[in-house]
Amino acid sequence: MRAKAKLYPKEAARLLREKPGVREAVTGATLHFDRNRLKAYAEVPIAEWRERAKAIKDHALSHLDQYLELAEKRLKENGVQVHYAEEPKDAHRLLREIVERRGVKRAVKAKSMLTEELGVNPLLASLGVEVYETDLGEYLIQLLGEPPSHIVGPAIHLSLKEIQTLFHERFGTPLDASPEALAQVARKVLREAFLTAELGISGANFLVAETGTLALMENEGNIRLSTSLPKVHVAFVGIEKLLPRFQDLALFLPLTARAATGQRLSTFVSLIQGPARKGEEGPEEVHVVLVDHGRTALLADPEAWETLRCLRCGACLNACPVYRQTGGHPYGYVYSGPIGAVLDPGLLSLEEAYPLPYASTLCGACLEACPVKIPIPKLLLTWRHRAVAEGLSPAWERAMLAAYRRVMESPALYRLFSKALRGLPLPQDLLPLLRAWTEGRGPLKPSPKPFHQLWREMEEGHGR
Amino acid sequence: MDARSRILSRIQRALKDRPKALLPEHPHPPFPEDPIPLLLARLAENGAEPHLLSPEGAQALLRELAQGLPGVAFGQGVPTPFREGLNPLPPEEAPLGVSWALFAVAETGTLALSSADGRRAQLLPPTHLVLVERERVYPTLLQAFQDLKELPIALGLHSGPSKSADIGQVMVKGVHGPGRLIVAVLT
Ligand code: SF4
Repeated sequence: MRAKAKLYPKEAARLLREKPGVREAVTGATLHFDRNRLKAYAEVPIAEWRERAKAIKDHALSHLDQYLELAEKRLKENGVQVHYAEEPKDAHRLLREIVERRGVKRAVKAKSMLTEELGVNPLLASLGVEVYETDLGEYLIQLLGEPPSHIVGPAIHLSLKEIQTLFHERFGTPLDASPEALAQVARKVLREAFLTAELGISGANFLVAETGTLALMENEGNIRLSTSLPKVHVAFVGIEKLLPRFQDLALFLPLTARAATGQRLSTFVSLIQGPARKGEEGPEEVHVVLVDHGRTALLADPEAWETLRCLRCGACLNACPVYRQTGGHPYGYVYSGPIGAVLDPGLLSLEEAYPLPYASTLCGACLEACPVKIPIPKLLLTWRHRAVAEGLSPAWERAMLAAYRRVMESPALYRLFSKALRGLPLPQDLLPLLRAWTEGRGPLKPSPKPFHQLWREMEEGHGR
Repeated sequence: MDARSRILSRIQRALKDRPKALLPEHPHPPFPEDPIPLLLARLAENGAEPHLLSPEGAQALLRELAQGLPGVAFGQGVPTPFREGLNPLPPEEAPLGVSWALFAVAETGTLALSSADGRRAQLLPPTHLVLVERERVYPTLLQAFQDLKELPIALGLHSGPSKSADIGQVMVKGVHGPGRLIVAVLT
């Protein structure tokens, strides 16, 4: 996906103006997810779970080379073909080879943010392969030609009415068709695709080094079908997804489910070892593509490496008051919300993504929600400091700070400005910046005396 | 140098001066005396229809479910007595699939199904009946995983009927997999 993260402030403002319905849909959905998460957290010793999950992830990341090699060894023993991709073009080369060798005409895809990063859908389309997103939400936005708006619920920005209209235009369903009826239409189209596709594509929530197990979580059954029915299964896995031991899944599967949707476990979990044995149903070929695409650079970053603990549960998005206003589209890259604001500058470059660390109130709700305790507020500040140091901070902020510094550094200028500010009537209604402030409050009134004079008078009064 | 060695050497360079984090032990959660009531309760909360039955009772339930249907898709592991008198159908055509679970987990209301049993019968029919022996019910996921000697090609954990809230935040069942999950815990 081409990044448009630089346009964040403009795009956010435009969306709020042109599609006010998005705010309502996203706020409703995220508040719902967030309440469910809080309930699910309260049911277990969550402090201990989060601490343990963080420790296991940190261990895996600080031994990443060893676990990567072990995972590769186990995968190969299981009959999986292992590939490495540094860049999207490596993934493209591999897919092209499979498409040509196996004569792939149709592919079914399980929702995966990494394949968004790699631009898998446009590539397959250019090879003449018909691609079906099979997660219902993902299928909806594929029909609309939109990118996902949320890591877990890609279509949460759409209202029922919009979906009814979409299906009416595409499939001729009545404009007031029930969600059940619409789901049945999608089920029919996608069932046909599952049964005829030659290629199934997925991501992975985890890859266990000890056993070479791919773990995938979902609620609909589409991932289980995508990885079971086609003759070839290709899984794209970010190298940060490694877990040391199979039993670590007993913590990470329920923790991720609780954080993401408030479930004790997602409805379907697939723990995949490899291609089917003789006489068994299942794919003949399984490929695992271990993807870097910026992750090793992030690992080398002395401050930002902690971002790699992320489980992509979306809990920080659901907790974020800024994300709730617009959903994910204005962020302009695959990952949105608080995690996007600290991950995107690391995966892309600060040059491409510097407005994103500013898309936060620093309220700390994301840190509170995060199952692996990623210090998102601290990282937001880290990226802001870097943006300032590299001269990338917004122009108005730079100009204001420069002027402020000049005034503060010179006593004469300071006196002059404070006198002027006290003397001049503030054009309250003319300043659009102040209008939002003054609407709910009384007018801003400068003090008649400067602070240092008030201070002196107070001191003297005290002495007397 | 190929992509693999470039990635590995970048990781090694990144980790050179990084302190190594320790790997914590797994906890030992308390073992409830009888996980069956919790399993039944959690399955019901997940939207499944749980039953505690004798093998004969489960056979009667299956015959009742299959009544009027053209046939049933069976998993490999389903014992012969359950198949008697029923017409086997391929999973793509069967309105009912029957599976034999490897184990179940009480704390999450989960059934573990082996790919060796046949994934199609577990996923394609709109109604899914799962049979599980009561000795195979574990209190927690960790205990079940600790006991697992051999992993099937694709272990499936099913914790309820297929569902989605992607259409206007309304929960819909039976999106891709079975919309109805019926469980018989065999005494
Ligand atoms: S940063 Fe934490 S809360 Fe946000 S998606 Fe990642 S794991 Fe979930």
